[in-house]
Amino acid sequence: MTCDETRKRLSFFLYGELSFQEEEDTEAHLEQCAACRLEMERERALQRAFDASEMPVVPGMAAQARRELMAEIARRRDHPGFWQRWMDRSGLRWRFVSPALQPIGALALLLVGYFGARVHPWEANPGFAESSLVPVASRVRYVEPEASGKVRIVVEDARQRVLTGDPSDDKIRKLLMAATQDPADPGVRVESVNLLTSQSDSAEVRRTMLWVLQHDSNAGVRLKALESLKASAGEPETREVLSKVLLTDKNPGVRTQAIDLLTQHKGVQIVGILQELMRRDDNGYVRYRCERTLHEMDASEGTF
Amino acid sequence: MEESALIRAAQAGDERAFEELVRLYDQSVLRLAMNLLRSPEDANDIYQEAFLRVYRNLHSFRFDCSFHTWLYRIVTNLCLDALRKRKVRREEPAQFATADGVLDRMDTIEDERAHGNPQRNLMSVELKERIQAILEGLTPRERMVFEMRHYQGLRLRAIGEVLGTSEEAAKNCLFRATQKMRAALGDFL
Repeated sequence: MTCDETRKRLSFFLYGELSFQEEEDTEAHLEQCAACRLEMERERALQRAFDASEMPVVPGMAAQARRELMAEIARRRDHPGFWQRWMDRSGLRWRFVSPALQPIGALALLLVGYFGARVHPWEANPGFAESSLVPVASRVRYVEPEASGKVRIVVEDARQRVLTGDPSDDKIRKLLMAATQDPADPGVRVESVNLLTSQSDSAEVRRTMLWVLQHDSNAGVRLKALESLKASAGEPETREVLSKVLLTDKNPGVRTQAIDLLTQHKGVQIVGILQELMRRDDNGYVRYRCERTLHEMDASEGTF
Repeated sequence: MEESALIRAAQAGDERAFEELVRLYDQSVLRLAMNLLRSPEDANDIYQEAFLRVYRNLHSFRFDCSFHTWLYRIVTNLCLDALRKRKVRREEPAQFATADGVLDRMDTIEDERAHGNPQRNLMSVELKERIQAILEGLTPRERMVFEMRHYQGLRLRAIGEVLGTSEEAAKNCLFRATQKMRAALGDFL
């Protein structure tokens, strides 16, 4: 291997982009050639110089860029442009056409339709009318042939609407209560529970919170529901659910909050449950609270 | 959640999954754009446009290549366009605004390197400026290959995939870039 060939390979050698054999040959040449070793050192110095010239990404820049991006996406989703709305309505996706050319393509299609109609006119169809607003998503739910030869189709349109109002408003409250049981999004559930906390004096809201506390799969949502039940911790219905949760919930965070709430109000009804928890709960704080409450109530810690 | 699951969830309209996907790649996208365009403002523009394109076209992603390759194709195309538009080398301001206040590019570089390799601290500002000028003088394609190999650490095969060319062509491009830089920096080394 010649010096010239070796020197051409030096940068690839340092980048680890040579084949096994090429690397072997280069190393063998470098071992016996001082001039090429010097060249290798220069190559290393060059790469170090490049390293030092790297433009840094300032801390926080990525997070700031991501926030801007998500805000822009939300803005476009909430206020889609004309062409986006048209595309959504038509259900079309022009995968191979650049977005800049899409309006031109749509215009071309309109012109083709217009001149096509002049060449080959047909009667307007009196049996078809569309009165939908801008649908976000459409789904065909039902199709049925009619005796006349026409087809009846039931289309379900999902639309986005924006409602604004006070949580005490009946309509808003009902929507929030429904949202606490949305299986798809724990984020929506936790925020809905949070917003309903100010309405926890309503029996309807309280029952919803008790349901969430017992059935929600997400511990964060259950903890939020517990918070909203603080005001009603003395109610028999709440205490009964707290007792159940203490015996069944696998999340120690939920149980420690629940024991705090349950022991706010002492009474003989909870002695049995506290003794049971002393026996079986593996969480030290839960057992400590039980022990202290039983002691304050002059009740024994164990069952005999 | 694994990347493929995140992609499928984002394709189904889950914006949180999309944001998570962005989070996985946003540092490397910004780094690539920053090094190529040498301007935080331009890098941010590329970032915004690239991820908006990903958002708009994610439904057409069919896992024919890795998401990384697909994303980098978008980013490199945008950067190539931006580099080609810079027919005349424009002067970058030495200072730029960040969330933490105004920073000087060279100061940032010095500070970042101060704890690492003391040898680097000896490098003169003149050399850094020379390197920047040489990088500006490379063709956009040479620049792209060099940046992806040197700063992003991508293999030549992956670079070829991103740029829609062969590994051999990417290798030739890198060779030309390093030769030009060696020749231009010869008296400094």
